[in-house]
Amino acid sequence: MSLLKEKFNQISPSEFFYSNRDLAGFSNPTRSLYTAVREFVENALDACDQKGILPNIHLTIKPVEQDKSDPRAYILTVKDNGPGMEAKHVPLAFGTVLYGSKFGLKQARGMFGLGATMAILYGQITTNKPVVVKSCVDGKTQDEFELLLDIQKNKPVILKHNTRPASRKGLSVSICLEGDYSKAGTKIRDYVYETSLITPYATITFDDPKGQKFHHAKFVSDIPPPPTIIRPHPHGIDVERIRRMILESQFEIPTIDDKMIEKVRKDLGLSKKNLGFTVIMQKARKKWKHLSRQVRVVVALMSFLKMDFERLSKIKIEDIDVPNRKLHYWDFGDSQSKTVEMESESQYYKQLTNTVQGEPLNTFLTKRFQRVGPTTAVKFATFAGFKPEKRMGTMTNQELVKLSESLQKFEDFMSPDPSCLAPLGEGPLEKGIKKFFNPDFTAVVQRPASAYSGFPFVIEMGIAYGGDIKPGGPHVYRYANRIPLLYDEGSDVVLKVVNETDWGRYKVKGEPPFIIVSHICSTRIPYKTAGKENVADRPEIERELRLALQYLSRKLSAYMSKKGQAEMAKKRANLYAKYVPLISQFCTELAGKKKEPNYKQMLEEGMRVEKQ
Amino acid sequence: MKSSKKRNSAKKAQEKQKNILEILKGHGAKIYRDLDDGQFPKFSIPSRSVSNIVYDKELRQYILGNTASVRSSRNSSQLRSFTQLMWLAFFANRLSQEKKSSTLRDVYYSSQAFAIEFDDQSESDNIIVDLEAVLSKPREDFHIFPEERSSIFGDLNIEYTIPGYEGKTMNLSNHPDGYAIGPSLTTSELLDTSAEIVIAIEKGGLFTRFVEEQVDKKFKAIIINTGGQAPRSTRTLLKRIHDEMSLPVIVLTDGDVYGEHIAMVIKSGSANAAHLRELTVPDAKWVGVWATDIEKFKLPTIPMTESDIKRCHDLKNDPRYADGIWKKELEVFLRIKRKAELEAFSKYGLTNITDKYLPQKLELAKSL
Repeated sequence: MSLLKEKFNQISPSEFFYSNRDLAGFSNPTRSLYTAVREFVENALDACDQKGILPNIHLTIKPVEQDKSDPRAYILTVKDNGPGMEAKHVPLAFGTVLYGSKFGLKQARGMFGLGATMAILYGQITTNKPVVVKSCVDGKTQDEFELLLDIQKNKPVILKHNTRPASRKGLSVSICLEGDYSKAGTKIRDYVYETSLITPYATITFDDPKGQKFHHAKFVSDIPPPPTIIRPHPHGIDVERIRRMILESQFEIPTIDDKMIEKVRKDLGLSKKNLGFTVIMQKARKKWKHLSRQVRVVVALMSFLKMDFERLSKIKIEDIDVPNRKLHYWDFGDSQSKTVEMESESQYYKQLTNTVQGEPLNTFLTKRFQRVGPTTAVKFATFAGFKPEKRMGTMTNQELVKLSESLQKFEDFMSPDPSCLAPLGEGPLEKGIKKFFNPDFTAVVQRPASAYSGFPFVIEMGIAYGGDIKPGGPHVYRYANRIPLLYDEGSDVVLKVVNETDWGRYKVKGEPPFIIVSHICSTRIPYKTAGKENVADRPEIERELRLALQYLSRKLSAYMSKKGQAEMAKKRANLYAKYVPLISQFCTELAGKKKEPNYKQMLEEGMRVEKQ
Repeated sequence: MKSSKKRNSAKKAQEKQKNILEILKGHGAKIYRDLDDGQFPKFSIPSRSVSNIVYDKELRQYILGNTASVRSSRNSSQLRSFTQLMWLAFFANRLSQEKKSSTLRDVYYSSQAFAIEFDDQSESDNIIVDLEAVLSKPREDFHIFPEERSSIFGDLNIEYTIPGYEGKTMNLSNHPDGYAIGPSLTTSELLDTSAEIVIAIEKGGLFTRFVEEQVDKKFKAIIINTGGQAPRSTRTLLKRIHDEMSLPVIVLTDGDVYGEHIAMVIKSGSANAAHLRELTVPDAKWVGVWATDIEKFKLPTIPMTESDIKRCHDLKNDPRYADGIWKKELEVFLRIKRKAELEAFSKYGLTNITDKYLPQKLELAKSL
């Protein structure tokens, strides 16, 4: 019997996604084609949005072999008029998983450009064809790449790269993938159609495999203000995130080499002569405020070492032992380790402590989180049981967990800053609804920003009735961060809220022709799955959705009762006109008369009765 | 003597007809005047809601109280049913003028010729009852007859009054299957009879047996098959035979709570017809099959169902079941929780019911 050996291998992100592609929406040829379209169109829109460019997106899907039946290989191309991508970034951006520019905290359709890479990966494994990327950043030259992904190493393989003259900025991505357009077609067309509703400032053209062209021209010429990147909110944070932030806040002891010494000398404004220790310290004290952090640290070290530049170049700092106030260094001259004491009262000591142990807690909070002021920081420290001066670098693991938990629990933080959100706005939303549905009645609302778990969000909603809308409503159009959500409707929080509404109460009955457009904007949409199709029912989001829907339903109700009254009055007038002549006819014979009574007067009065 | 009675009764029928036509004309004239004056015409309809149905001890039947509702053509939600009622009065007038008879279903379809809509027959049936209440006359008086048919057999001479048969006479024992009780029979004149009693029996099968066994001759009886719950035309005829020929009426039903109630309806009417007064035979007697007979004659039985028992409890709250044989038998049904059909007597031979049971009951009826 051979020994069973278990192998532990590290897998690359590419490999991980290769084996979990179902999660990202690449489960079958139908779904994959649809998801790939989405990912590339959304990337294109995001790129334009970020630079304030009115997007002009061209989507083409062509079969590789015209006479093969589905599922078959298709070439999917998405071309935009965005800023393009610098040639040096192209291979990494399209040839590795988890490489992107969207890691900051603000609203965007996609998070890390992950989906696009997944689509490329899927194309590669189903057709073994490279992705073709054409990018032009200056409007003069265009870089063309043919790339494959090395799945195991998570590295791009450049098959071809050439440059040619171009006349327009923009990016074009083309992949070859197995898909089923006969099944995915409806969804893709719906996707393009619904995207143009929520992106009224974009022109989207779609050439489908059957030679049909779907053109949605922009009907709004202003781009909604772009979102700003902001610092995180304390409620939206975990231990891992805090650890990373502390790392960012700590500075390494700069390597003191000739280059560094030269920089310090220059920054202090010292000539090459007269470089005595005392002179240096005097000059430094004067210029302290204008010195960079690195220079300050070097000066602080010099103050304890009592060395000038000459001597400083001959040693190497080994350790700064802050608690014991000892500074250890290696002297190249004597080839031995030496130690000096540090005075704790010295301002230089504080400087070194900051560098080694990180910022104090209160500074950490005010500097690295959004909307935390000095007073709140101190209050929080008391709440969490830390001293406000506690150095972040000295926190133990347990303390970090405690800090993280307290950040979640503390209720006196201000609500998250919504400036990182980019809702469409009531005006464009209403314009879009009117253009798409030509309704008799429209109402839109944008709720004030709210937050769940430290992530800000805004709900926009519109409702429309009558006109070109098909009966059998409410038809719900769901959007999240300007992406239409088409699959898995049933388990979505918006649907839940809509279905729980008693429409009878709002005078909406039978098979009404009406639609609801719901748009959730957030720095993080709580999707139930990585496929981004349905939003989980967070109580805060559910509440806002409900409030928005109630507000709109009341407006609809007012419209319906007005409409109902008008219809009713007309109906009643018709009733009199219909029945009174009959009554007249019957009673004439019954009374044995020849001539009918004069009921005209009564008919007129009937109308008057109704008007009252 | 005979001819004078004949003339007399013919005159009575004519008067009745004239009477109804006058009432109808009166309503028509009033509505005509209202319209001419620019007023919205209206009908006052005695309310038939449960709260307005009361039991009248003197009349020994259910009657309507004093509550009435107004159906106005001013109210747009009543306009449609007002017009329907108006049309029905007009239609009833035509029927009566032309001496044509019609049925409930007929009325439903006839409406369509006049651009009057009824959603279904039950809507038109309701309007017919409305008109009955407005006129305080049964629908038979304005020539609308039910479709349920029951039958009659026995020595009774009648004379038709319907168009085409006026003056024609008939003896109701000429045909052994009996004569269907329809509009021509209920409107005919009752001339004379040798019978001394009327036996109303719930079931067609027993009716045939009674004819075969010549119950009519042996007991000098007129036999009427009610076919379950007696239709109104049958009840009208029963009342007329009782009143005009002075014959006692006895009722023979299955031995269950429904049978008991069939007898009660013949005797004192139903709540459904509380707006009408000419359908009851207060002197009618229920002679069987009683709950006590089931034990006494050792009849084969079947157990009562849930709904049978529930019906017993319902009837216990009816004031007409508060005393006498009605109360006593109901209590026995509830105690034994079993029931027996008329056919159960066949256990003792096919003619047992006519040879043994009926004579006993007829004797007993005299003392009831």
